Amino acid sequence: MAEQGNESEQGTSGKKEKNTANSSRLTRLVSWFDSRLGLSYPLLRPAPEYAINPFYWLGALTVVAFVIQGITGMIMMLYYVPSPTDAYLSTEYIFQSVPYGRFLETVHLYTAYAMIMLAFMHMMRGYFVSVHKKPREAMWITGMVMGFVTLGFGFTGYLLPWTVVSKSATDVGIGMISALPGPVSNLLNFLIVGAGGDATELLRFYDLHVVVLPAILLILLAVKMYMLEAHGISEPITGGELAPKQKRTLPIFPDVSLYLLELAAIFGSGMLLISAAFPLNLPPQYTPQLAAQTTPQPDWYFLWIYQILKISVFEGAGLPVALSLVTLIFIVLILLPFIDSGPRKRISQRPIFVTLGAIFIAELVTLAYWGLVTPGQIIPVEQAALVLGGVALIVSFTSLGLFKLINSRARSKLPTVNVSKIRRVEIWNGIMFTALAGFGALTIGESLDSGVRLIIKGPNLSSLVYFVFSFTTLAICVLATTYFIYRSDLRMGTIKRRVRMFEIGWRDEKVGKQQ
Amino acid sequence: MMLYQTKRIVTLLLSLQVTCIVFMWTLDALNQISEAIFALFLAVDLISFAMMSYIYRVDKLDEVPRRIWIIIGCIVVLVLVISSLIIQ
Repeated sequence: MAEQGNESEQGTSGKKEKNTANSSRLTRLVSWFDSRLGLSYPLLRPAPEYAINPFYWLGALTVVAFVIQGITGMIMMLYYVPSPTDAYLSTEYIFQSVPYGRFLETVHLYTAYAMIMLAFMHMMRGYFVSVHKKPREAMWITGMVMGFVTLGFGFTGYLLPWTVVSKSATDVGIGMISALPGPVSNLLNFLIVGAGGDATELLRFYDLHVVVLPAILLILLAVKMYMLEAHGISEPITGGELAPKQKRTLPIFPDVSLYLLELAAIFGSGMLLISAAFPLNLPPQYTPQLAAQTTPQPDWYFLWIYQILKISVFEGAGLPVALSLVTLIFIVLILLPFIDSGPRKRISQRPIFVTLGAIFIAELVTLAYWGLVTPGQIIPVEQAALVLGGVALIVSFTSLGLFKLINSRARSKLPTVNVSKIRRVEIWNGIMFTALAGFGALTIGESLDSGVRLIIKGPNLSSLVYFVFSFTTLAICVLATTYFIYRSDLRMGTIKRRVRMFEIGWRDEKVGKQQ
Repeated sequence: MMLYQTKRIVTLLLSLQVTCIVFMWTLDALNQISEAIFALFLAVDLISFAMMSYIYRVDKLDEVPRRIWIIIGCIVVLVLVISSLIIQ
């Protein structure tokens, strides 16, 4: 037995030695590269350990998507001909005769989608965790400009295959330029369209897509990286001290670089699998006859703008108003660090801005989906108000409910409050807020609809009854919400000023102990 | 012991990567099914690389790689290889 034990120990130690030898060999290999390439020289500051989290690297993954775009795009450039007569034929040639051509096109397209989606996620994450606040305002603005350049890639790249869908949609987009103010319209016409018809237009788009926009994006990336080095990675907003392990820093090479490569490999494999599962099919070639029978529709990332433009009030003379509205949204996004400039960074401390952010996402998704399922249809203004108002209300109510839950959870840390009671209140809060959200959305929609009907059709008995009924239900909903908020606060014992009107039928023993 | 096991996994993954690359060269590059198989094998290569990198990185920090990630990675690789064989 003892001999067997010795043999086992010897075996284990042998394995350990072998393992150490393997490990040192690998370390030597890494050191060899490091000493030759200077990878671990302190050009980039080390990253804190808390940054080893995919959400911290959404921007980096956007750059990875850009690199994949660059590689696949450069291969396609070998075959693509940017002229109206040959663009479609050369694209078709890539699909049918170039080795893995369809696959390249598919990966290029889906990675472009992923790039836009990742850039959007990066922006919204930054917004919610307050990275746009002091001292990173300039980084936010640079990032926003990079986002617009990314959308520019989408806009210019969409035309290049010269399919009937892409050409028709791009023509609609270009047509809107004339609705912009004079100098802007002239400049954009000069830059994008030129004076040579389709041939110039395609060539300009191609040049923008493969030379101008990549150059701008790379310059902006360098500027943003420089600022990132100056400010460092933003700290997580935990509200307390970071654990010592989280504060530990890791060198960019090899630790952080390897982590990034892991993320890039997982992202790349995801893109490959999606491309394999849903290979791209080339739509028909653009001809004016076919275009006349086709309803132009932009790609998904512009569908929200498309849907805004389809609202009846923005048709014809209202187009400049719609474009001004879209421009205003972009301006607000750029200037956000100066609008939401307060010192509070935690989500629980910024209910208004967090709710506005959630509404923004919900409205974008709603508009995009709506635009997708109603191609070419003009949307009546009252219907738009009903849907968009309803969505905003549902999100607001849900957000309010969540903030109530967060705050009640924070209060549960107080020693004087009964925790099991708070849990019951939380569940009750959740149910009530969900019910109120649904009811509130319905009533606000009905009220808007009845108001618009009254204005359009004039006062008659049915429209008046509908108007009174809908506003009464809305008033009941608002009162019920106020009463409910008051009651839950009363139960929690956090009411500062009692309102006796809301306490009819309320027994004093239910009032929280803190009172 | 754990470290020894992870090194064995790295060796296995490296062999798998080489096999995938060799197999990819044998595919007909103009066939649509081959494109799908090519994508699956390339994905296997990338996931194998991510796993190897994870093991090396965590090992370098004197920590033990989390078994759950290695199991998930192995399952994904297995599913992809089997899928590509079925497609073929």
